[in-house]
Amino acid sequence: MDILPLEEETRASSVTSISSDSIPSSSPPPPPGEDDRPPNKKRRLSPPPTRAPAAAASSSSADPPFESAYIGSFLVGNAWSTVRGKGYVKSGDEIRVERDDMEEKSTFVKPSGSTKSTGKGKGTSANGKDKRKKQMSLTTMLKPQPAKAAKKKVNDVVRLTNKSGFEFGRLPQEVASWVSKLLEMGIIDFKGSTMIDCPTTLHSGADLIVSLSVYIRASAFKPRAASSEEPTKVIFNEGQETLDEQILRERKSSLLRLFDMVGLKPVRGSVSRPGKDLDSRLSDDDIRNLAQRPEKSKSTVKAEVGGDGEEVEAEAEGEGEELSENQLNLIYKKAQENDRKMEEMEPADTFSLTLRGYQKQALAWMHSLEMGTISARESKSMDPLWSEYAFPGEPKDGVIDLTADERPFYFSPFSGELSLEFPTTERKCRGGILALVGMGKTIMLSALIQTNREPDLTEPERRVQEDLPNKRRQLRLDAAFRTVSRQVAKAAAPPKSTLIVAPTSLISQWSDELGRSSKPGTLRVLVWHGQNRLDLEAALEGKDATDVVVTSYGVLASEHAKGEKSSSPLFEIEWLRVILDEAHHCKSRQSKSARAVCALRARRRWAVTGTPIVNKLEDLYSLLKFLGFTPWSTYSFFRSFITLPFLDCDPKAIEIVQVILESVLLRREKNFLDTDGKRIVELPEKEVDVELLEFSPLERKIYDSIYNDAKRNFEQLSAKGLVSRNYTHILAMLMRLRRAVLHPGLVLSTQRNETPAGDGSVDVNALIQQFSETNEMDNSSEFVESVLTNLGDSNSECPICFDVMDAPMIIPRCLHQCCKDCIVAFLANCAENGSEGRCPTCSQGPVSESELLEVVPSRADPESSQQSSAPQVTLRRNDFRSSTKLEALLQHLRRLRDQDPCFRAVVFSQFTSFLDLIEVVLQREQLMWFRFDGSMNVKKRSEAVTEFKAPSRKPKVLIVSLKAGGVGLNLTTANHVFMMDCWWNAAIENQAIDRVHRIGQEKTVYVKHFIVENTIEGRILQIQKRKTAIVKEAFRGKSGADSESVENLKIMFGDD
Amino acid sequence: MSLPKRIIKETERLVADPAPGITAAPHEDNLRYFDVTIQGPDGSPFANGVFHLELFLPEEYPMSPPKVRFLTKIYHPNIDKLGRICLDILKDKWSPALQIRTVLLSIQALLSAPNPDDPLATDVAKHYKENEKDAQRVSREWTEKYAMA
Repeated sequence: MDILPLEEETRASSVTSISSDSIPSSSPPPPPGEDDRPPNKKRRLSPPPTRAPAAAASSSSADPPFESAYIGSFLVGNAWSTVRGKGYVKSGDEIRVERDDMEEKSTFVKPSGSTKSTGKGKGTSANGKDKRKKQMSLTTMLKPQPAKAAKKKVNDVVRLTNKSGFEFGRLPQEVASWVSKLLEMGIIDFKGSTMIDCPTTLHSGADLIVSLSVYIRASAFKPRAASSEEPTKVIFNEGQETLDEQILRERKSSLLRLFDMVGLKPVRGSVSRPGKDLDSRLSDDDIRNLAQRPEKSKSTVKAEVGGDGEEVEAEAEGEGEELSENQLNLIYKKAQENDRKMEEMEPADTFSLTLRGYQKQALAWMHSLEMGTISARESKSMDPLWSEYAFPGEPKDGVIDLTADERPFYFSPFSGELSLEFPTTERKCRGGILALVGMGKTIMLSALIQTNREPDLTEPERRVQEDLPNKRRQLRLDAAFRTVSRQVAKAAAPPKSTLIVAPTSLISQWSDELGRSSKPGTLRVLVWHGQNRLDLEAALEGKDATDVVVTSYGVLASEHAKGEKSSSPLFEIEWLRVILDEAHHCKSRQSKSARAVCALRARRRWAVTGTPIVNKLEDLYSLLKFLGFTPWSTYSFFRSFITLPFLDCDPKAIEIVQVILESVLLRREKNFLDTDGKRIVELPEKEVDVELLEFSPLERKIYDSIYNDAKRNFEQLSAKGLVSRNYTHILAMLMRLRRAVLHPGLVLSTQRNETPAGDGSVDVNALIQQFSETNEMDNSSEFVESVLTNLGDSNSECPICFDVMDAPMIIPRCLHQCCKDCIVAFLANCAENGSEGRCPTCSQGPVSESELLEVVPSRADPESSQQSSAPQVTLRRNDFRSSTKLEALLQHLRRLRDQDPCFRAVVFSQFTSFLDLIEVVLQREQLMWFRFDGSMNVKKRSEAVTEFKAPSRKPKVLIVSLKAGGVGLNLTTANHVFMMDCWWNAAIENQAIDRVHRIGQEKTVYVKHFIVENTIEGRILQIQKRKTAIVKEAFRGKSGADSESVENLKIMFGDD
Repeated sequence: MSLPKRIIKETERLVADPAPGITAAPHEDNLRYFDVTIQGPDGSPFANGVFHLELFLPEEYPMSPPKVRFLTKIYHPNIDKLGRICLDILKDKWSPALQIRTVLLSIQALLSAPNPDDPLATDVAKHYKENEKDAQRVSREWTEKYAMA
C-alpha cells in the first residue's frame, strides 16, 4: 500500500516491525505497563495516548507546525454514569475523556493471526474476528477488571473523568467503539470537553449529556510507512488483506465516523471536488452515462466457426464490462487536458526526418518521463484517493474566529491516511502509454530511441563497475553453462539497447522505419524473428552493438515458455527500454504474451496502442502492470479501487482511471487541435461511398435458398428455445450466408474445383491454326484474318445487345463474337430450353460457356508492342465464374486504370478464400497484385508490402485480409480502398481504412464499400448502426448468447 | 419498365434505314408493339399487295423471338387464316443475333417461296401441292381483294 511517497527515515514502520516480531496468537499478551514493551515500539507513529500530547511529535523530522488541531465537537447524549452519589461532576464542568489503559492497545495492534480478503472471502474475515475475540477475552482475564465490563467489549471502554481524574462515567458503546480506536492510535485528543447536563445525584447508568471537543493530533499526519516486501507478498496471494491493511481499514472507518460526527466535509477530493476546472469534471449526466453500463457477460470463447479452417471473427472476450465510446472519451478527457500546452523538444542529430509540432511535444513528454523529471504535463491533480478537508476554526470562549486562515488537510477515505501535504499523483515507472492512431508513432519512438540513447547508471551499477573483479569470480561459478565473459560484460555495462515487440505483420515496417528515420549507420537494428534468431547477447555487445532489437509477441511468448526450462536471452538481458507496439495484444492479463512482457527486464517501458482500453477498464491493467506503475500494477489493488467500484457504478472509479492516465498516457488523434487551434495532422479528405449492388438472378437464387434454409433452421431452434445452445451452429450458418454474398463458389463446394490455374490465356495463333484445321471453307483464312485484325477493335457491336461489346467473347468454333454477358445469358437460355448451346450468329454448336474465349486487350508496355507485330490482344478461356462483387470491383479497377494508369488500390476482405478469387480476377485482368494475409510468413508479408510500395508506372493492387492487415500497416502509397465485405463492428473497418488514410497520405482517399442489396449485409449494417460502435463483438462466445446477441440474431433472420 | 438499348437501336435503324418493301413503326403507347407492312415480292402471286402485320417484342426479347402475325388475309401454305406464320426462326431456330429487320425480310422471302412441305394452313398447302397454278391464282385473287387499297 505505498500510495504516498516514502521517505527513507519513515520507512521503518512500527506496525510492521511489531508484526514481524509479533507474538503468535496462542501466546499470552504482554503484561500491562509501558516498561515491558519492546524497544522498537517506541518508534510507533502514534505515541501512547496516555502521554501528554507534547510527547507525540517527538521523533519525526518533518513536524507539523502544531501539536494538535481542533477539528470539531459533537454531543453525546447517552453517556452513562458508573458511580453513585453527588459531587463528582456537575453541568458545565470540564471533563476528560480517557482510554482505559494501555492493555487494550497492545491487544489491538497485535496481529490477529488472520488475514482478511477484501471482496471474496467473507468466511475468512469472520474467522479473523472470532480469533480476535478469543484473544481479547484472554487479555481481560489477566486484567483486574470488573466482570461486568468483560461481558461487553472491554477494549472499547472510554472513560469520562473529572478534573481530579476520577472516573464517573463512560461513553456509550456505539461512540466508544470508534473513539477508543482513534485514541489508541493517537490520532485524536479531547480537550475542553464539557458536561452539558447530568443529574445532580449520579447513579449507575444515569444519562449524561456531554459535549466533546475533538483535536486531531499532529502525529496523525505523519506518513505511514509500508513494508517494502509488501508488493511481492501480494503477488503470491492476490486479493489478501494484510495486517497492515486491516489496521488502516479500522483507522479509516473510525476517522470517517469522526468526520461524520463533527460534521466535517471534504472541501474537495474523492467525494466531491468543486475546485476543479469545470470541463474536467464529470457532470451528473456523465455519471449517469457511466452508470449505465451494458450488462456484463462472463464468457471467454474463441469460437472457430466456418468449418474450413478459415480465420474467423468471434474474438476472445473476458468479463464483458464493456465501455461505450462516450465512456471512453470521458475517461480520456482528463488525460488530454493540458496537452496543447506541452513543450516541444528537438530530436537528436542522428534523426534524419523532421518532426511535426505534436511529435516534438510527444518527444518532450517521453523524454521527461524517461528521465524521471517531473511530468511535462503540469500535474496539478490531487491523488484521486485523497480528499481535502479544512480545519474548522476553534471556538475560543465560545466564539469562532472567522478571520483565521483556513488550513487544509488531506485524508484518504480509502487508506485512512492523513496528511498535511498536498498529495499529488505519484509515479515511479519510467515510461508510459502512447495512444496514437495513424500519427507516426514509429517515427516518434525512433526519435526517442535516438535522443535518449545514453544508459542511465543507477547507484548499484556504479558499484558493480567498481567491484568488477570480485563479481567476475562469482559469476563464473553460477554461470557455468553460459559464456562467462559475456555474462560479465552484461553485468558490467548498463543496458543501452531497446527491445521492440510488435505484431508479426509490423516487424519489417519497424525496421524499415527505424532505418529511414536515422542517418545511415547511426542506428543498428536487428530483427530477431523466425529463422534468423542470432546470438542476441553477442549482437548486443561490443562497439557495433545493436541499438534496437525488433521481435514479435509470438517469439516473446514462446521464448518465455521455453524459459521455464532454459533461460532465454530475451529475458536475461536487461533492456534500456522495451516498447510494445499494438500493446492491446496483451490486454488479457492471463494471456501468454501478457505474462511474457511483464517478465522482461527493462529500465524504461513504453506501451503503444491505439486502444489502451479496448472495451473494459481492466484492459488497462495489463498495460499498467507492464509499466510497473505502482500501486495500480497490483491486481488486487486495481480491482478493488477501479474494477469493483466501477461495477458498482461508482463514478470514483472513472476519476481514478482519469488521474492514472493523466500521468501515464499520451493520447493523440488525427482530429486534435494544436496550440494554434489547427488540426495537429492535416489529412486529405476521405470519401466513403457505399455501393449497393444487385445480385444476378442465378446468384440471387443460390443466396435465397441458403438464406431460407438458415432462416428455417433458426426459427426451429428459436421455437424450441435452443438458440443459445446452438450458437456456434448459427454462427456457422451466418458465415455461410456472408460468403454466399461474396461469391456463390465460396459455399458451393462443387464449383470450387473450377478455379483455374494460371491466367487462362490462350495463344491467338494457336486458335487460328485450330480454326483453319476444322473449317475447310476456302475463304476461311480471309475471315480469320479479318476477325483477328478487328480483335480488340473496341467499336465492334455485339449481335445480341447491339451495343459496343463489353468484354468481347469469341466462340472458338466459328470465331463469332458477343459480349460476355449476352452470350452467357443466351447459353443459359438455351440450356433452360433444353437445347444445345450454339453460336447466336451462325447457330453452330455445341458451344459451352467454359470454352468461350475472352478477348482481353493487352496492356503491355507501349514500346514492346510497337516492336513486335503480335496481336494486341490476349484471349483467355472463360472458365472462371465471377460474381457480382468481383465484377463491381473489376469495373472500378478498370475505370481507375483508365483515369490513372498508375493507380494504387488496397482491397480488404475478411475471407482468405475470397482473397483467392480476387487474386484470380486480378490476374485475369492482368493487374499487378500483391497479397497480405495471416498465412504468410513475415518475410513474404514484408516483400509484398515493399513491392506494392515500390514506384512503378503500372497500376498495383494490394489485397489484404482484414484480420492480418487491419492494424499497423502503413499503406499511404495507395489512395483507393475497396471493402469487399462488412464487419460486425464499423470501428474495425475504419481502422483498416486508416491504413491508407493516415499521416503521409497526400491525396484524397476514396473508399468503396460493396454491399449487395437484400442480403445479410444490409442487416449487418443495421447492427452496426444499432449500437454505434460499441459492438466490439456483436456476437460473443457460444455460452455468451445473452439477450443482446439473440436480439442481433433476430435482426439477421427477421423479416424486413 | 425501360426499353432495352437494343430495341431502341433496332427501332432507330428501321426508321432511318428501312429494308426495301418493308416498313415498321412502333406504337407510341407501347414501343414493343410495331405496325408492319410488307410489299408482296415481285414475281410472286403476292406482288403489288401491301400486307399489314403486327409484331410484338416480348419481355425476354432478344433471348426469345418476336411474335409476328399477318393482319391482312393471305392465301399462303405457311400462314393460317388467323395470320399465324410458320417460320423456323420464329420458333426453335431463333437466335438473339437475329433482329426485327431479319425476321421481316425472312417473312418477305417466305412470300416468294412458299413451303407446302411444312404447312400451317393444310388446305392451302394441299391446294399448292396438287395444283400450284390454280393455288397461285387464288393467292393473286386474295391479294387483289385484301391487300390492295
